Amino acid sequence: MTDPLVIFDLLLALSIVALAVASLSVRDLFAMIVLFIVFGLLSALAWVRLSAPDVALAEAAIGTGVTGALLLKTLHHLRFVAGGQGLRAGSGGTSMAPAAPVPVPVPVGVILANAAFCGLITLGLAVAFLGAPSAGPGFDALVADAMPDSGVAHPVTGVLLNFRAYDTLMEVVVLLAAVVAVWQIERGLSDAPAPVMGEVWQGFARLALPAIVVIGTYLLWVGAEAPGGAFQGGAVLAAVGLLLLLTRAYVPRPAHRGIARGAFVLGTAAFALVALLVASGGRVAFEYPLEHAKTLILLIEGMVTLSIAVTLAALFHGREPVALPKGGRDDT
Amino acid sequence: MSVDISAMMLAIFLPLFGAIAAFLLPRAAALIGLVALALTTGAVIWLAREVWQSGAVILPLGGWGAPLGIDLRADGLSVAMLALTSAVGLLVSVSALDALKGAGQSRQRQYFWPLWLLLLTGINGVYLSTDIFNLYVMIEVIALAAVGLTVLSGTRAAVQAGLEYMYASILGALLFLMGVGFVYLQLGRLDFAGLMDAEPTGALIAAVALMFVGLALKTALFPLHFWLPAAHANATAPASALLSGLVVKAALYIVLRLAQYMPFPSEALLTLVGMMGAGAVIWGGIQALRAERLKLLVAWSTVAQIGLIFVAFARAGELGLTESWKAAALLILAHGVAKAAMFLAAGRIKDEIGHDVIRDLDRSPIRPTLAQFTFALAAISLIGLPPSLGFIGKWALMEGAMASGYWHWVVVTMVGTLMSVAYFSRVFAGFLRFDRVRAPVGEHQGWALADAAPLTLAFAAIGLGLMAAPILSFLEIGYPFGVAP
Repeated sequence: MTDPLVIFDLLLALSIVALAVASLSVRDLFAMIVLFIVFGLLSALAWVRLSAPDVALAEAAIGTGVTGALLLKTLHHLRFVAGGQGLRAGSGGTSMAPAAPVPVPVPVGVILANAAFCGLITLGLAVAFLGAPSAGPGFDALVADAMPDSGVAHPVTGVLLNFRAYDTLMEVVVLLAAVVAVWQIERGLSDAPAPVMGEVWQGFARLALPAIVVIGTYLLWVGAEAPGGAFQGGAVLAAVGLLLLLTRAYVPRPAHRGIARGAFVLGTAAFALVALLVASGGRVAFEYPLEHAKTLILLIEGMVTLSIAVTLAALFHGREPVALPKGGRDDT
Repeated sequence: MSVDISAMMLAIFLPLFGAIAAFLLPRAAALIGLVALALTTGAVIWLAREVWQSGAVILPLGGWGAPLGIDLRADGLSVAMLALTSAVGLLVSVSALDALKGAGQSRQRQYFWPLWLLLLTGINGVYLSTDIFNLYVMIEVIALAAVGLTVLSGTRAAVQAGLEYMYASILGALLFLMGVGFVYLQLGRLDFAGLMDAEPTGALIAAVALMFVGLALKTALFPLHFWLPAAHANATAPASALLSGLVVKAALYIVLRLAQYMPFPSEALLTLVGMMGAGAVIWGGIQALRAERLKLLVAWSTVAQIGLIFVAFARAGELGLTESWKAAALLILAHGVAKAAMFLAAGRIKDEIGHDVIRDLDRSPIRPTLAQFTFALAAISLIGLPPSLGFIGKWALMEGAMASGYWHWVVVTMVGTLMSVAYFSRVFAGFLRFDRVRAPVGEHQGWALADAAPLTLAFAAIGLGLMAAPILSFLEIGYPFGVAP
């Protein structure tokens, strides 16, 4: 007798592949984005089935939620720009043609050769994957041994914020670099007008905002014992910023740049300072004293969550707030 | 409570804190940047002393130790790369003060420093890392900061090139990550020590292939170089110098490290790598001969030089790998110094003359003499004339190839050298004036304090060749293969 979960898994896998193919082949950009979002949600489900709830949360919140919002915003911008004003790029000031895709016919031979080549590579990788030990050695035993000394109860949090905290710090630095890079691009184009909101919107925002804040904070707090943590909590909190930006309840102004900059670097700075300052009395950097480990980890996670939330919202806004038009983000 | 600080932590955290401070205080960004660079250089000197006195040093972060935690390790090669980065970085920073002083460049002035310091954090992190997942994170830091620097000039061409660079860079990082996944699948470890002496199974070969292709994309090895010329040619001069002199070296360094710790690639694969390098030498040379603009020519010469480094790496077959990394390392150092000098000089020439069309260089009434001299000195090192460091690197390359009887690599090197003479001569011809334009005044306007930094770099590129022996013995400190028999 077949386990019903196996059938579910098969269906899930098939629909993920089908959605990927569909979102690549569909012509309409909006449909493509919607398919991508559904694809992300099902992938999150697949992570749950693979017993990786932390990854599932991150996939749902960042891979699907924030990315979907970014894609939709880009589409809105493209449509607005293509429909109306010319697009001026940077100081070059040359007008760019509206984003009309010019179909270039690709010779069938090239397509076939490409397909054969990619197929061969995929085949090779598949063979290599199947040849590898299926339940190979991993960190599981090591992590289990070291958990009592980590100050937290959830292994994923232990790995991310203690055993391999250096990696996590640098991931936060990646986010900082991203937002600095985005802020420095002066696009010289005006913002798309805000979408017209229906009547339901205000009520929805009033209901949703407090709930999102609670969920985000809970995800952060629970990270010590159960799936959750800074990245997931931060992404959920970023939704608050997105809503505020979309409703124009908050309009970033140049005067807010200082606060926003502070919020961007808060997580990195706090994390790095803690990592350095614990190095005394025979300890090395990143070696938290056991009795304070949980406090320090929560402190770091709290600061990083704030930074991630503000940074993601600022990335959604997509530019440094300049005089007049709408801008980056408040400090939650 | 006193804080124990190690030089390795400082080399990574000083630029990081500098970046944060420079981002928070845009008005003081330049000052903060220079101070951070100077302090980082100091930390690297301290680290070099430590390594010189007591061999390779290891710092287990968090006190866990590999494989659970992440170790930082500094040996001769790491410190040499760190020294290259901080020395070149410091001089480029000094010249950036001048290059970004224009009235319309306040935005660039503001953002150059945080991006460059974040980039430095990532680069230094790569040179001290001993963990392949950590390397992945570090190359992500480098990628985003480098893309930011590429588009700093804000022109449309730069933004377009930056976007292409970002796609290439992210694809490269993803391939690398996939390779890391295969390694973990097979070995269950991510630290370098865990990779050593592993049986070359299918998964590990796939891992090596994926990681190599990813890194080749990031370091722009032919035929994956498509993004480099536009990205490097359209950035502002200090950014170009950093991108060409330092950023591509990080991926090259990872290739060297992987070759050292992963199972040896087979002879056929090594030959393939060498052939890709040879392709880069020839294609880069042809494109440099055809380039119409000075900065584009310099960017194509980077493609050719990177190819040469891969030739050096692969030149002596499987057995030679224990030795050939030294030739590759020397060429990396030589190229880093000389190319930074050359891009800065090209930027100065462009600033003074107002354009960088090679054909019209000799029509300008203004002669940025010192910048032209700098360019020529840097070209001497890149071509490989004695006593420059480039010469020593090429010599080590050819000596090794001849010793193992692989004459074809000698031919490739020679052809590459001749081509570099040819394409640099196009520029030299533009520098020499045949009195097409007579300008009674403003003859030597181009002398500026801004020439000091590139000139210093160019002299270093030549002079370091005289110190090749100590450099070589320093490189060998703590190297797991030791001194080859």
